[in-house]
Amino acid sequence: MKNQANPWLTSNLWVLGLGMLPAILLIGLLLYFTAWAFAFSFTDLALVGRKSVEWSWVGLENFERLFTRRGFLESLWTTVIFVFFSAIVGQSVLGFLLAAALRGSRSTLRSVVEVCIMLGWLLPDIVAAFLWSATTAQTGLINQLIITPLGLPPVNFINDYALPVVTIANIWKGTAWSYLLFTAALDSVSREVVEAAKVDGATPLQRIWLVQLPIIRPHIATNMLFITIWTFTYFPLIFAMTGGGPGRQTETLAVFLYNQSFSRGNLGFGSAISVAMLLIVGVLSLFYLRLLREPK
Amino acid sequence: MEENRPSRLTAIALTFMAVIWVSPFSWLILNAFNPLSTGQLEIPSVVGFDNFGLAVSGNAGRQFINSMLIAAGTATLSVIVGISAAYPLSRLKIPGRNAFLWTLVLLRMLPAAGVLVPLYFTAQRTGLLNQLGVIIALTILNLPFTLLLLKNFFDTVPIELEEAAYVEGASLLQIVTRIVLPMSRAGIAVVWFFSFTGAWNEFLLPLIFARVQDAFPMSVGLYAAFGQQGAINYGFLTAFSIIYAAPAVGVYFLLRRNMNTGFAGVGVKG
Repeated sequence: MKNQANPWLTSNLWVLGLGMLPAILLIGLLLYFTAWAFAFSFTDLALVGRKSVEWSWVGLENFERLFTRRGFLESLWTTVIFVFFSAIVGQSVLGFLLAAALRGSRSTLRSVVEVCIMLGWLLPDIVAAFLWSATTAQTGLINQLIITPLGLPPVNFINDYALPVVTIANIWKGTAWSYLLFTAALDSVSREVVEAAKVDGATPLQRIWLVQLPIIRPHIATNMLFITIWTFTYFPLIFAMTGGGPGRQTETLAVFLYNQSFSRGNLGFGSAISVAMLLIVGVLSLFYLRLLREPK
Repeated sequence: MEENRPSRLTAIALTFMAVIWVSPFSWLILNAFNPLSTGQLEIPSVVGFDNFGLAVSGNAGRQFINSMLIAAGTATLSVIVGISAAYPLSRLKIPGRNAFLWTLVLLRMLPAAGVLVPLYFTAQRTGLLNQLGVIIALTILNLPFTLLLLKNFFDTVPIELEEAAYVEGASLLQIVTRIVLPMSRAGIAVVWFFSFTGAWNEFLLPLIFARVQDAFPMSVGLYAAFGQQGAINYGFLTAFSIIYAAPAVGVYFLLRRNMNTGFAGVGVKG
């Protein structure tokens, strides 16, 4: 193995070990907290009241409630729609199109577009929520600029179209990440390959679809993995914009989890929700990781 | 060299998109510079900085400092802990290290609210319900990502350079500080920046850890100001929002050159 050939490493093993110690300690804590959250999911622990002290083990009851009571499955469906349209369709496709359109260009247009979409990404969640609430409000930008001039009565978007509004807000906020990743990915495709395809008479669309996309497939999988998971557990934007409402229209799993744990105080049930979320995310990740490995 | 210019149609589409993208900011800016702001979208009759004056004094100013402490503290601690563990992880062939790192990253996907309760109990018991507690908690939550990214960056530093330095008589410390760190500068900048913005934006953790108003960071302050009884002072809120958003934007533009190269490393290895 390579180890034997690296005397500056082998002679300093204890230094390296010492360096890893803080990280090991903190990771240990993370595992400990996670185990604790798992354990809670089998109890009826509450945030306040008698059951915050005298809690008891309830077996799988919390997990049964996930499927027998209203709430979880509806939230899961809302989350799936939210993730699919905002992350996979919105951020990923838009990010790729932007990256492909701006590839290799050194113009000021590229810098301008980049700065614009980065502003959305860099904006703190709470500010973004504030901004989009105002933009879609009855006296907001969309109504004043589009709806009223058309002679229509102003629409209260956040009330009438809550899920589309938070979806668009999330696309607005998150596209930059996909754009940056795809830009880096497309830069790694060598010019010669693309030129060769061009010489062979491939149309621009073919060059993207048959040449560039297969090459950057690992990047696509990585991107999907990250944004799916982030969006799946994304909390502040929706919470600050709608709190899950109106009704339960925008109550994604993350908001559901928060409402159950901290508004209603059902810590045990809340933990069961987070365990279920972890399982779903785990399965999704395995799927993407497969996609990532396959070509070899 | 062939210049890959976007066609006229693409250029128009792109310009259009850029305009749409920044249009929500109009409301923020119009209100922030309007001392008589009412929260409506309108061109101010008077333009002034009064709102910004309010947004940097008193409580608001303290919240800015709190946010800065939390964000810079978390980013720096994450990078230091991350580097000292990621270098050995990258160089020593510890069996199963990749599987282990990915498991950690997966585990970290547990929604933060899930580990919030154990975190809170532990912090309460150890007297860490304060800024330092938030910094440590955020570092713990960041660490899997930090480790994975830094290890990937260190993997791209050619080991031959280190060999050469060793032959020249360099110590481990010299090898790391003179070769490995400078060569992965872009990656370290990315990791620092991610941790910084993550901590700067963090809302849930400080909301639960900060017991007194003096300890509120800006995210919690803004949220609290939102829900205040009575008339909402939109002028103050918008100015406060701009000040709150500024550092993350500023740090990005400072690190921009590094960021774009650094991003290449994110997708390279599985």
